[in-house]
Formats: sequence, structure tokens, C-alpha cells
Amino acid sequence: MKGMRLLLIGCLAVLLIAAGCTTTQQATGDVGILYTKGTGPMPTLLATKQIDGYIAWQPFVEVAPVAHIGKVITYSGELPPDDRWKNHPCCVLTARTDLMSSNPAFVDAMGAATILATQYVTDHPSEAADMVADWLAGKGNFTYGNITVSSVDVLDRAFPTVKFVNEPSDQWMNGQVEFVYALRELGALTGSLKNSSDAESKAILFDTGPYTRAMAMINASSITVPEAEANPIGVGYLLSDHHASLFVAVKKWQYFNDTYGIALKPEDPTATRPDLVDLLVKGKKVATLKLIPADAGPQLMQLAATNTIQVAYVGNPPAIAAIDKGTPLKILMALNNEGSGVVVITDSPATDWASFVQWAKERSAAGKPIKMAAPGKGSIQDVMLRYALEESGLSVKEVQA
Amino acid sequence: MRRPLGIILPILLLIVWEIAARSINNQFILPRLETVVPVLLSPTVDILGTGSLVHNALVSLERVGAGFLVALAIAIPLGVGMGWSQRFDALVDTTIQLLRPIPPLAWGPLAIAWFSVGINSMVFIIFLGAFFPILLNTIDGVRAVKRTWVEVAQTLGASERQVLSKVVLPGASPTIWTGLRVGFGIAWMCVIAAEWLPGTTSGLGYLTLYAYNFGQMHYIIAGMITIGIIGIAFDLLFRSVEDRWFCWRGLER
Repeated sequence: MKGMRLLLIGCLAVLLIAAGCTTTQQATGDVGILYTKGTGPMPTLLATKQIDGYIAWQPFVEVAPVAHIGKVITYSGELPPDDRWKNHPCCVLTARTDLMSSNPAFVDAMGAATILATQYVTDHPSEAADMVADWLAGKGNFTYGNITVSSVDVLDRAFPTVKFVNEPSDQWMNGQVEFVYALRELGALTGSLKNSSDAESKAILFDTGPYTRAMAMINASSITVPEAEANPIGVGYLLSDHHASLFVAVKKWQYFNDTYGIALKPEDPTATRPDLVDLLVKGKKVATLKLIPADAGPQLMQLAATNTIQVAYVGNPPAIAAIDKGTPLKILMALNNEGSGVVVITDSPATDWASFVQWAKERSAAGKPIKMAAPGKGSIQDVMLRYALEESGLSVKEVQA
Repeated sequence: MRRPLGIILPILLLIVWEIAARSINNQFILPRLETVVPVLLSPTVDILGTGSLVHNALVSLERVGAGFLVALAIAIPLGVGMGWSQRFDALVDTTIQLLRPIPPLAWGPLAIAWFSVGINSMVFIIFLGAFFPILLNTIDGVRAVKRTWVEVAQTLGASERQVLSKVVLPGASPTIWTGLRVGFGIAWMCVIAAEWLPGTTSGLGYLTLYAYNFGQMHYIIAGMITIGIIGIAFDLLFRSVEDRWFCWRGLER
């Protein structure tokens, strides 16, 4: 009975809000957001106190505590509202539609290689973290003043906060659609996704065919050999452990080749970060892949729009924004969920989200609102931080350095 | 006596650096010398999986060499033409003046779209950096060749081709050489910026930007010092050639 009443009150509240009769939260403070075009400047800005914190993707969240310049107050899955961002979608595998229609088996094979590598990452996390440390930093050390930390240790810390999955489930697609809403609110969607219904959005964004076919091939233990590609295929990615499946697929190519008959074999096996790899299916070379790293998703999407790359490992908002603008691209599957985190300066009183909000309100009341950095406007990190701040009664203002 | 005097300031600078680094005690603002020097002293050791300083320096030099040669191959003939023929100059000059003030890196997005990521778009940007100084100096050099030399050659029956190759080009060469020197300097600056374009995986510019991601300032400074040293080395090289072959400039009166 009580539950029923609560439900009724809830419904009424929703109706009132929808009708604009009440404001959900009176904003009780401001927070400034600074966009840094990727994660590069964040540690420096934090260490020189030009920002009070940042939200970033891994492993750059861990750089702050390791360098003793900041502390992690929350990882993205725990951001408010409650459970809103649990298992939130993050990076996705995308491919250009012209490639998908000219050589569908090739795209399926890329999907299979990614899925097999993701399985390996989930089954062997510490070995995978090691390979990612090799890819991102040659397993080298990071030196911060008197402190020297192995990149392997940093990746070991970062790895458990990322959930590696590929299945384009309904729940995952609905999560993606949430980002469509968020990007609309930011005015970032002006094309095909501006007014689309949820079903239309999904039709525009996704093609799960390659995932289904790749899974079928894996289950049948036989990968179809695609038609050989005469020209190199450009594959874009970000230097983040979110894209571990790509790094592991390349580093562990021999294993995948022997076990599954599909491999991304680096042309220079000694390179820590190879840029040319061969896609081998059943021992036969199908294509040369040019692996192209970028600082942030929008750069990759520009490369995809100009057909410089045909496949991209990228965050979902840049992919959504690019598809909205007419880039002939489809989202094929997930790469990871979660995997971002919020960092604040060491001497901040904040230890978790609640105390962070308290701190932000006090600073705002004192006329010195805190300043947080995010990789880019409309990035996953930006969207989540904005939602969480607004949910906690803080209004967000874009600021300049 | 000049050299020992000149060395005093850099040494002082190093001392001030170390004192400042110790008192600031924030390696993001200024890393200590002892974190930077080992990096410079072991230039063949891999840095963050990006390759060693030597490897990356060679990669950058290769790119700058390619862009510089293309610039040279286009700018010198074009400059000779513009300096020699007023009509040709009138035809081309406006376009050149319109394009010249655009910083090479502003071409980055277009370079990637036109030449795809990688060496070609970098070479394009380096080419743009080196092109204009070489061109302008070539034009100046050609125009500054003494009329009397040209007239003497013509009176003695030299064809236009002979005048250009035997009188004008040699006469303009000291100024052209200055253009090459300035052009190389700018090209060297551009290669660093060009390596910040997406899709790059090596080079001194890439190395510094990559180290930034992890807040590895000592690698950034080691990279900057390497960039500086190579820049100075090439400038000295250009200057020594200038001193040896073109010292007649200013003496021809």
C-alpha cells in the first residue's frame, strides 16, 4: 500500500516536472568546466592548481594519485544519480558503411578479432594490463619528482575500474540513447538525430550484424576468410586502456592465430606501439591495417569523415555526433563500460561525491567556484560530470583557462 | 674570449634552474636537473614506448629534410622567375602575399584531409614553413644582382639562359643561402608542431606531446633540449658554409 502511494507521488512529481510546474533542484552553486581537448594537459593543470580537479578516462585517472597531485573521489560507475551510470556505455567499435557493404566479411573478421581479444582481457586481466602498459608506455617508468612508478603498476590500478564487454545488448543500446539525449541538450546534434525517436536513433546508430556473425563464427570455431583488401585499412584508436582489446589482439597475435585462426600480426614485432599490422585469417593475409592513434574522439571522427580511417575504436559521443552530421558510420559493438573517474587536488576536503558537492558549494558561496577539467564538450566524461553536478544542485558554467 | 664569456650565462641558468626546481618542489612546473640529465645522457634508451631520443631525432630530421627539399625545389626556381621577370612577379606576387601570413600549422586539418595522416601531411606543413623564407630571399637575391654584371654578360653575347645560370644565380646565391638557413630553422620548428597532428607515432615533437599525457615533464624538457641542440647544430653548419663560400658578399664593391 505504502509502495503504491509512493509510486503515485512519484508519478505526480514527474508530471509536474514535465509540465514545468516545479523546479527539480534549485541550483545552490556554480562549478566551472574547462575543456582541455583530451587528457594531455590535465595532470599539469592540476599540479599547478589551475584547476581543482578533472574527469578523465583511464589510465589518466590514476596518474593523479600516483604522482601525489590529486586523489580519486569516485569512478564513473558510481556517479549520481544512483545507478544512473552503472555499466554506462563508453567506447565502441565503429566502421564506415562503404567498407561494410564492399567487404562485409572483413568487418565481421575485425569484430571477431575484437571479441576474442576482449575475452582474453577479461580472463587474464593482469597479463592484459601488462600488455597495455607496454603499448602505452613501453612498460617504462613514470617519474614525478622523487617518485618513480612503473607504468605496469599504474595500469594494474586502472584495469579493475574498466569493464570490458562487447555485446550490443538492449540495455547497452538504451544507455547509448541516453547519450543522444545528453548531446541534444548540449546542442551538439543538428542532423539526423536532432528529433529522431528512440527507435529511429537506434536504426541510425547501430548495425549489430557484424557482432552476431562474428559470434556465430567464433562459436563455430571457423572464421570466414574475407576478400583481400588491396589498399591499407585505417584503424583509429585512443591511447587508453579502454582499447585494450586492440592492443592485446596485436601483442598476443600468435596465440589468436594458433587458437582461432585470426590474428592482427604486427609487421615489426619489436615495436612497442606498432602502426602497421596484417590481418591474418586462417594464415592468409587479408589486409594491412594502419593503426592511427589520436588524442581524442573528435579527431578520429574527422579522420573517419575524410575516409582516412575506415574503422575506429572511439568513445560513443564522438561517434554519435559524427553519425548525426552524416558521416557514413555505424556502431557495431561495445568495447568497454565505465572506466572514467573524477580526480580532485590533494588538499581538497572532498573524499567522496557528497563531500565534493559540499566543497563545491562552499567554494561557490565564497565567490571562488571550483574549476573542473573535462576532455571535451559532449565527451562521455563531460556529459556524466554535468548530469551528476546538476543532480547534486550545482549549475555548470563553461570557463576559459 | 667571446666563447668563454658566452658560456657563463648558460651555466648560471642551470644553477638557477636547479635552485628554483628545488625550492618550487613541483616537477610539473620545473623538474630537477637530475631527472633531465640522465635522459639526455642515455639518448639510446626507449622513452615510454616511443623509441629513444636518437631514434626520434632521426625520424624528425628525415621529415624535415623531405619538406625542406620540396620547398627548395619549388621556391628557388619560382623566386628566380619572380625576381627576374616583373610581369611574372605581378602575376604571382598577390597570391604569395595572401598565403604567406597563414601559419603552417593552421593547414593541419586540411593537410590531413588532402594528404592523409602520416609523412605526407607533415611534409606539406614543413614545406610551407620553409617555402616562404627561401622564396623571398631568392627574389631579393636575384633583384640585388648588380645590373652592370648582367649588362656586361649580355654585351658579351650571353643568352638569357646563360645570364641566369652563370651570373644571376651565382650572384644571388649568398642571399639564397641565407633563405635556406632561415627556411631550415622554420622547417625545424614546424616539424615539431606537425608531429602533434593525429596519427603520428614518432618524432621529437610527438615524444614531447606524448610525455605530456603522463605529466612526464623531464622527458619534455629533455626533448626540448634535443630539439634546441639539433637546431643550433644545423644553423652552425649553414653558417660555416656561408663563411667559407659566400664570404665575398659585401666585398664585391
